[in-house]
Amino acid sequence: MSGISLTPVLLQLERAPGELRPQIEAALRRHGQPLRWSITAVQRRLEQPALLQIEAIVCCVEGG
Amino acid sequence: MGSTPPLPTLLVIPTGIGCAIGGHAGDALPAARLLAGASGCLITHPNVMNGAALYWSDPRIHYVEGSSLDRFAAGTLVLRPVRRQRLGLLFDAGIEPELRQRHLQVADGCRATLGLDIGPVVTTAVPLEVSLSLGASGVSWGQLGQPQALLQAGRQLKAAGATAIAVVTRFPDDPDSTALAAYRQGSGVDALAGAEAVISHLLSRELGLPCAHAPALSPLPLDPELDPRAAGEELGYTFLPCVLVGLSRAPDLLPLPSSDQAPGPTAVTATTLAIDAVGAVIAPAGALGGAAVLACAERGIPVIAVDNPCLLDVSAEALGLQVLKATSYAEAAGLVLALREGIAPEALCRPLSSLR
Repeated sequence: MSGISLTPVLLQLERAPGELRPQIEAALRRHGQPLRWSITAVQRRLEQPALLQIEAIVCCVEGG
Repeated sequence: MGSTPPLPTLLVIPTGIGCAIGGHAGDALPAARLLAGASGCLITHPNVMNGAALYWSDPRIHYVEGSSLDRFAAGTLVLRPVRRQRLGLLFDAGIEPELRQRHLQVADGCRATLGLDIGPVVTTAVPLEVSLSLGASGVSWGQLGQPQALLQAGRQLKAAGATAIAVVTRFPDDPDSTALAAYRQGSGVDALAGAEAVISHLLSRELGLPCAHAPALSPLPLDPELDPRAAGEELGYTFLPCVLVGLSRAPDLLPLPSSDQAPGPTAVTATTLAIDAVGAVIAPAGALGGAAVLACAERGIPVIAVDNPCLLDVSAEALGLQVLKATSYAEAAGLVLALREGIAPEALCRPLSSLR
């Protein structure tokens, strides 16, 4: 029987041009289906894109 | 203000980040009531409204669980106000019989005294195994060892006719922890909040129903130094009354087809509320990095950033967002009223620069 598990994820994401939300959700989807997330820190860098810290819980399907 | 149409407004105060206002037991409720008055229509989430044994019911306030609020802001669902919901009660099998009985009596009290429609009641097949944790930033998170059991019980309730679900899970007692002592005395983060959000997000997202959570805990010893903001949680044996009242008139959640799907039966109508109608979103100035606020900003909805100290420093400047700044929720209410009346906020400030 398939089930789900919940997994915490901590990401550092370099900001790309454009809207932020799709970038974050795409990065999280590599780990599972995003359930809850937030940007919890932003590191602004000279002549480089900002580095975002994302904390999240994602859902992963197990078994099958 | 009588003839001015409402300005639907989102109020977001993320849970578990130690906000000075909204970081304890429903202590953002006075701000929500003010903003409901200013806007005529406020959409907000349980962390703002839930004061354990304390609550406030206002037909201008729409109680929407956090993940549903995110989807509403993203334009993937609309809200349909209702007269009442039929509340299913979902219990964690890990709750001891006496504590479970206390919760059932609260539900009976809400039926008898407030006239709420509560039932059926379902208990999970196995204990849900809730655990608490802190993230890298210090914000509260949590885990659920048996998410499938939660969803199975939720599906049973939905099949039995529940239109909204109040979920009660056994949280670990830790009466001697320094974090709990700090919280009760008005500092630190609500250690329970992150796990609560995970539980209600999962249930609401999977079932498509309004859901909210109350933790089941053993009573705490008296603390003479208790902060007023935490006092709502020490008035009874459960945190359930506010959840039942909030859900009793929570709007239905109607999904919209995504842009790559054929149009479905759900449509925006005169009786539903869609993100396109929202005129402002209000959030703590240091916590602008959540899904709902970013989705609103993408749509060009004015963001009102309120000074409300918290653990985070994810500001408009850090994210490159244009915002209206407010030093308090009272000032934010003034800005909402200005937007509702069609007054450009910059006209209320000096100096007013010349057009070029």
